[in-house]
Amino acid sequence: MPGRGRCPDCGSAELVEDSHYSQNQLVCSDCGCVVTEGILTTTFSDEGNLREVTYSRSTGENEQVSRSQQRGLRRVRDLCRVLQLPPTFEDTAVAYYQQAHQLAGIRTARLQKKEVLAGCCVLITCRQRNWPLTMGTICTLLYADLDVFSGTYMQIVKLLGLDVPSLCLVDLVKTYCSSFKLFEASPSVPAKYVEDKEKMLSRTLQLVELADETWLVTGRHPLPVITAATFLAWQSLRPSDRLTCSLARFCKLANVDLPYPASSRLQELLAVLLRMAEQLAWLQVLKLDKRSVVKHIGDLLQHRHMLVRKAFRDGTAEMGAGEKELQGQGQGQGLGDEDVGSSSLELPAGKRPSSPALLLPPCMLKPPKRVCPAPPVSMVTGDEDISDSEIEQYLRTPQEVRDFQKAQAARQAAQGTPNPP
Amino acid sequence: MPASEIAELVPQLHNVVCTVNLGCKLDLKSIALLARNAEYNPKRFAAVIMRIREPRTTALLFSSGKMVCTGGKSEEQSRLAARKYARIIQKLGFPAKFLDFKIQNMVGSCDVKFPIRLEPLVLSHQQFASYEPELFPGLVYRMIKPRIVLLIFVSGKVVLTGAKVRNTFAFSVFQDKKELLHSY
Repeated sequence: MPGRGRCPDCGSAELVEDSHYSQNQLVCSDCGCVVTEGILTTTFSDEGNLREVTYSRSTGENEQVSRSQQRGLRRVRDLCRVLQLPPTFEDTAVAYYQQAHQLAGIRTARLQKKEVLAGCCVLITCRQRNWPLTMGTICTLLYADLDVFSGTYMQIVKLLGLDVPSLCLVDLVKTYCSSFKLFEASPSVPAKYVEDKEKMLSRTLQLVELADETWLVTGRHPLPVITAATFLAWQSLRPSDRLTCSLARFCKLANVDLPYPASSRLQELLAVLLRMAEQLAWLQVLKLDKRSVVKHIGDLLQHRHMLVRKAFRDGTAEMGAGEKELQGQGQGQGLGDEDVGSSSLELPAGKRPSSPALLLPPCMLKPPKRVCPAPPVSMVTGDEDISDSEIEQYLRTPQEVRDFQKAQAARQAAQGTPNPP
Repeated sequence: MPASEIAELVPQLHNVVCTVNLGCKLDLKSIALLARNAEYNPKRFAAVIMRIREPRTTALLFSSGKMVCTGGKSEEQSRLAARKYARIIQKLGFPAKFLDFKIQNMVGSCDVKFPIRLEPLVLSHQQFASYEPELFPGLVYRMIKPRIVLLIFVSGKVVLTGAKVRNTFAFSVFQDKKELLHSY
């Protein structure tokens, strides 16, 4: 380049600036001699003018993902870590969250819904991999209301067309029972209350299976049944020391919440066990009650299939015949009386004939809370004449209209003056 | 269950929802002023809520002239009620007509009178059935043909909804019973 000097080697004036590499150089185009070099390193003041490009910006990763979605994805990952789920679960849950976020109805939803959505994706993943996780647990972790959670869950299952299997009761029993703090002695758990985990689990599973067979599980929340079964299993393994312990105290010892329906599930299960005990000859003479039957739970469970068959008769076939009596119209008539009497699981043994009770869900055995009379047959055709008088009863008179307008005006005036004298 | 008993399982209707076009614009404020049985809170909902005693029904009247009538126990009752609302609007001075009357939804119930095991039912009908005992005690069965939703409970009571024609219910109930008869 003219005016930039000459090459010290060959004297040529053809010098070119080579900024091809990271270091600027002035090079002679004739002989290739490097006349001058630029600075390889930067000074402090130079670096002040440099702009660093972060990795995520250089890859453009975050340009396609909104802030709320990023927050949601972080939430999904945090939930998976808190629940100690396998890594593959996290990937699936994240994928579901991303799919859900693309739906218009979810993208524009409130933050509360998006928070809950993270829990829904984790729950769906766990259900599909048969990992027992209840909605109650997720709601507790999210501090969310079950109503909000259920709405979002049903919506997302429908929108994404997902196939979500039911919660496996056996797995739930194993997980839930393992959370009871009764397998090691501690200052809060005396030695007589400590139990072997495997024994307790095995007996609880048998009791839950019995509850399922006798219609105590279908249509009900699973946890209260499992809590009641765990309590009975624990009591029956050492009844002499544990019969005095109540369900509430048991849950407190085990450091587990007591679900409200657990007490009634417990009573139902005890009633079933009492019915079964009546079929065992050596227990009939003992005149057992709901406390003493606990001591014999081991024997009852050992023969449970046979005892259930003997203690209960199939309610399905009986329903048609005995249905009117069971409806609780208060008209026991012969066979009806016996059916009503034997259908109540609460009556003490010995006070009525030991005919097998109906094996039906408790909701079918209780009399209805209110009698629903059959509606009268309507002869309306839809084309009847409509009388003027009938319509006029729904119209205001001119005086009523004036009065209504005065009242409205007075109300508006009162609302207009917030601090009346 | 013998075939004769299946045939007798006619669902009892509890609610019929219909729509009708009154064919004229409505001044909702003036309707709320002139009618005794109307309520109107524009900040909460942009329609007048009107009720009549016989048939015991509720109607939503929109400013476009469209009306929704709910609470009828049969298609005929629903039609009679809709006609009465239209007559009330006429008496209030609007040129109301009775166009495009259509039954939109019917809700009924029936009782198969035997208990139903919901867990195996949801396993065998996974693509149609949804059962979440933590949320709701009944099984939600979305039938495709006919397009009906059934709520099936352990007690054997079934709630049906989504039909626009009464016969749809009877057909769906019959199909449903055939499936439920043997295993559950």
